[in-house]
Amino acid sequence: MFKTTPTVRLLLHVANLTVIFFILLPLVAVFIGSIQSERALQADTRRVLPLEVTLDNFTVILTKGQQRGRIFDQTTYLPDNIKSFYTAFLNSAIVASSVTVLTLLFGSLSAYTIARQRFRWTLFLMQANIVARFVPVIVLMIPLYVVMRSVGQLNSLSGVIIAETGFLLPYAILILAPYFDTIPTELEEAARIDGCTRLGAFFRIVVPLATPALAACGVIMFIISWHELLIPLILNARPDFMTLPVVIASLVGDVHVFFNLMMAICLLALLPTVVLVALLQKYIVEGLSAGAVKG
Amino acid sequence: MSTPAVTIERAPRRPWYRREMSAGSFAFVMNVPTLLCLGLVLGYPVVYAAYLSVHRVGLGQLRSGVFAFNGWDNYGRVLEDPLFWVALKNTGIFTVVTVGSEIVLAVLIALLINQAGIWTSRVTRFLILLPYAIPPICNGLIWSFLYSFQFGFLNRILFTSGLIDNPINWAGNPDTALYAVTVPYIWRTLPFAIILVHAALQGIPRDLYEQAAIDGANAWHRFRHITLPMLQQIIAIILILRTAFAFAVFEEILAITQGGPGDATWVAAWYSYKITFSPPNNFGMGSASAFILTLMIAAIALVYMRFIYRRVTL
Repeated sequence: MFKTTPTVRLLLHVANLTVIFFILLPLVAVFIGSIQSERALQADTRRVLPLEVTLDNFTVILTKGQQRGRIFDQTTYLPDNIKSFYTAFLNSAIVASSVTVLTLLFGSLSAYTIARQRFRWTLFLMQANIVARFVPVIVLMIPLYVVMRSVGQLNSLSGVIIAETGFLLPYAILILAPYFDTIPTELEEAARIDGCTRLGAFFRIVVPLATPALAACGVIMFIISWHELLIPLILNARPDFMTLPVVIASLVGDVHVFFNLMMAICLLALLPTVVLVALLQKYIVEGLSAGAVKG
Repeated sequence: MSTPAVTIERAPRRPWYRREMSAGSFAFVMNVPTLLCLGLVLGYPVVYAAYLSVHRVGLGQLRSGVFAFNGWDNYGRVLEDPLFWVALKNTGIFTVVTVGSEIVLAVLIALLINQAGIWTSRVTRFLILLPYAIPPICNGLIWSFLYSFQFGFLNRILFTSGLIDNPINWAGNPDTALYAVTVPYIWRTLPFAIILVHAALQGIPRDLYEQAAIDGANAWHRFRHITLPMLQQIIAIILILRTAFAFAVFEEILAITQGGPGDATWVAAWYSYKITFSPPNNFGMGSASAFILTLMIAAIALVYMRFIYRRVTL
């Protein structure tokens, strides 16, 4: 828009490179950390690039500790949680998908009525959702633990799914409601005149039109749920029901697990959401701004 | 003469499940799942947390199921605990540092990626959302590798580029640890702020700038008198949202310092977590401290709703 002098352009390039460096630094660290052995990492503590490249860290995780490769040949102890990688991955996938489906379903039903039916109580519901978005997980976890313990729902995936759905639903509604508000009412009215019920008009007319918003909301719900640590950490202590973040958190403070193995499992855990973000960037950007600003 | 009785043929009455609902009952039925979820997972636990916070609840009481009422005792013990005040102070510092830096960085970086003519800006814009994809616990562990005193990646880079001669103990030094844990948190949550500011920048009419340029305003004046006022609302939104969430920071603390060294990085959520879920498992005190945190965040939430989300009627 405005002419930039060569000096300004150079400064802008430098600023961009600094930002890019800052964004990529942890990602480079997790990659380089995961492709070398403990011994190599300890041998030279001033070296950036690995002395030798090995995939043994991934092998030991992905074969549940069966194939130890050269690095773990002599190690006698491997944390059990490392071996339950597949179970944890599957649990994470089940929880995140269920939470995404449930929040989208319940959220769109609510968001639609909030956008279309102006009653005093729907307005109040919207305000309740805005406030509910701020409730910190920790204050919910203590009573939820006590309740789930007394009804015997500790150590189950359904408990985690219910808790996360309830926790994320207000945010889903905040993302969806402004979008439903932008869909013109004429189409629904036409459908209703032709004999469609209210519910029919919602599912046949509004939902297809709202696909972009549902995609935006769905991908955000999936990501947050895939990342959630505190809810499954407190509700599930048995390895069979742990999700990936819980398994990873259990390695913290285990003196027998060195950085290379941790970086490898972190890299495996962050890949799914990185792929999602890379593919669906446009939707996430729209969803994030809709959930914060519009109303 | 009698006129033949005219019978008006009426449509047979539809069974109830095929009958058209009134707008009010339709809206209510559509919201049943949401109301159930909000009630069971948000409303009830918050109330129950308040209940627990005025009762004596430990592991023994959980087993027997009998909680003795003890009034404000839990709150008293929390407020008398010096560690709680340390945690509150640390949370305050953490929040001010992260939110302050995020707002400044978000405005600067959003302006940077808005430069369509600079090709590196397009690269930055493509990468900007990447940290949003990283699970917080992984982010914490990655930074604990970066910060490691002996084997850390950050020290390696600084050694190799000749900037330091002796390793720096980033997260192990009580004076720097709290600031060290702010960086990973800023790294992970900055994309959200940048995206909001960048979206707001798109909404500023271009002719404002053209008009100002004709009037002879330089770049700083244009920023100061056009961009910044137009960004005011979005900055307020980011300020409130990020403050509320930074107050409850947990994962990065767990992964990098676990509150240490000493009590240098104990924050409010960590305090509630440790009091409750590590021996001697004082659920009452944990609830009381979590409730104090919630009240502080609720005050922020009300400000948000009152002043920012005012057009809540949609």
